[in-house]
Amino acid sequence: MKYTSILLISLLILGGCKIDSDPINYGSDACHYCSMTIVDKQHATEYVTDTGKAFKFDAIECMMNDLKDTNDTKIALFLVNDFENPGQLINGTKATYLISKNITSPMGGNLSAFENRAAADSVQSELQGELFTWEELKKRLTNQ
Amino acid sequence: MKYWQGIFFMVCLCLGHSLHAQTITICPSCETKSIKEGVEIAVDYDTLLIKAGTYKEFNIHIDKPLTLIGQNLPIIDGEDKGEIITVTADGVILDGLKIINVGTSYTKDHAAIRMIKNKNFEIRNVVLEKLFFGIYLEKASHGKIINNKIKGDAVDEFGSGNGIHLWYAKNIEIIGNEIRNVRDGIYFEFADNCTVKNNHSHNNVRYGLHFMFSNHDVYENNVFENNGAGVAVMFSKFIDMRHNIFRENWGTASYGLLLKEINDAEIIGNTFEENTIGISIEGTNRIAYNKNNFIGNGWALRVRGAIYGNTFTNNNFLYNSFDLSYNSNLNDNVFDKNYWSEYTGYDLDKDGIGDVPYRPVKLFSYIVNRTPETIILLRSLFMDIIDFSEKVSPVFTPDNLLDANPLMKKAGSKEPQLAVKSK
Repeated sequence: MKYTSILLISLLILGGCKIDSDPINYGSDACHYCSMTIVDKQHATEYVTDTGKAFKFDAIECMMNDLKDTNDTKIALFLVNDFENPGQLINGTKATYLISKNITSPMGGNLSAFENRAAADSVQSELQGELFTWEELKKRLTNQ
Repeated sequence: MKYWQGIFFMVCLCLGHSLHAQTITICPSCETKSIKEGVEIAVDYDTLLIKAGTYKEFNIHIDKPLTLIGQNLPIIDGEDKGEIITVTADGVILDGLKIINVGTSYTKDHAAIRMIKNKNFEIRNVVLEKLFFGIYLEKASHGKIINNKIKGDAVDEFGSGNGIHLWYAKNIEIIGNEIRNVRDGIYFEFADNCTVKNNHSHNNVRYGLHFMFSNHDVYENNVFENNGAGVAVMFSKFIDMRHNIFRENWGTASYGLLLKEINDAEIIGNTFEENTIGISIEGTNRIAYNKNNFIGNGWALRVRGAIYGNTFTNNNFLYNSFDLSYNSNLNDNVFDKNYWSEYTGYDLDKDGIGDVPYRPVKLFSYIVNRTPETIILLRSLFMDIIDFSEKVSPVFTPDNLLDANPLMKKAGSKEPQLAVKSK
């Protein structure tokens, strides 16, 4: 009995340690990099470290700027908003990125993310711009 | 002689031309029933007189210099279909219109009124409601935006646009407008040599006024109230901020004024009242803070590092929970001749200046900076004791961070310091 309860408690504690995204409170959370209040549901991003602490950003370019001097091996999750489904955080490393001067983003990067490559293609054909994968984008914006 | 004749002829031509400018009346029962029709039949420099009524129109494109005057506030209802008025010609005047129901879109920033690459325009006495973006200036210059009322419906909704949005604009005057319930009341991106005066920007989701990459701008005598945060000045140079009121910007990430990466600004005679943070300062060079009042804020000033050449003189710090939080070296920043309501020193030589320096950074503010949760100990006896011990012998707070000449009376108070001295 005692053992099972100890087991149960430790399971609960361990279960509580699961690394998960932390929802962004639009209108009250501030960007970790530029201090601006986060309101843009199309461009807000966050990353979660392997200890479960979430850092939120108002734009993809702010996250990239922050990654310039952050050790990204300690980051468990990169999350970005899908341009097509604002408010929906998706895996940033699998997303397709578009830099188009016809879509402005909060910190002047003109940078948006898409979950779906086809959606990115169709927006690109309409509004022009250049497409990147996560790795390409990181190379371009953080010089890593 | 021939020359004179020629010139005379030219003058006559010009006069004749302007005299021929006509007024076209538009009303639901007139010959011209829609504004689009009116614009189409009008020639350069005509006036369109729009009588009271509701006009269900959108995508009105004004491509010649016209004056549109509304009589008794006619309503242009866009029925959420898209942009309503787009102007591409120079010298257009819009006066006394009410424009409602701008279409919302994720990929296009629809506006009630958009100015594209034009100049010498004027937008006045216009009322905008139920909008996405209000007035959008795209590469426009030399314009005036006067006495307009912009009211969005962004309460919890964040798919909202900005009230007055400037993108690559120059020499714009924004005077006497009221802007509420939008994302940013006034937004500047690459906007230079602009003046923002006597506006009231309140209850906006993000900022009352927001500068990004904009230089040589002035804003004065504005009131920023109850916004997500008051004003953000970011990545900009030579901004003059005078006699504004920043009030009631409450919230965990909220502040009256945010300064981030800005150089060579002057912040003079402003009032910061009841904000979570009065001014949040990061990465600023050569800023003069003079004659400002900080009243009842959580933090009057919160310095987050990398600041050089900032001078704080003749300011009044009145009843703030913390006057200053500071997380780096003093560098070459100066605090001098300010009035601090917390100052408990004395003035034996009666020169109006306290004889012992004032240290604005409390140990508690240093602790809260490192561990925010300790704020729960605010106003406890324990904190008073450790603050006192730190005041006597500074260990944690930078010991050169002090005001060597704290004022005994409020700066700018009616009894001047010289009078005190002569007593």
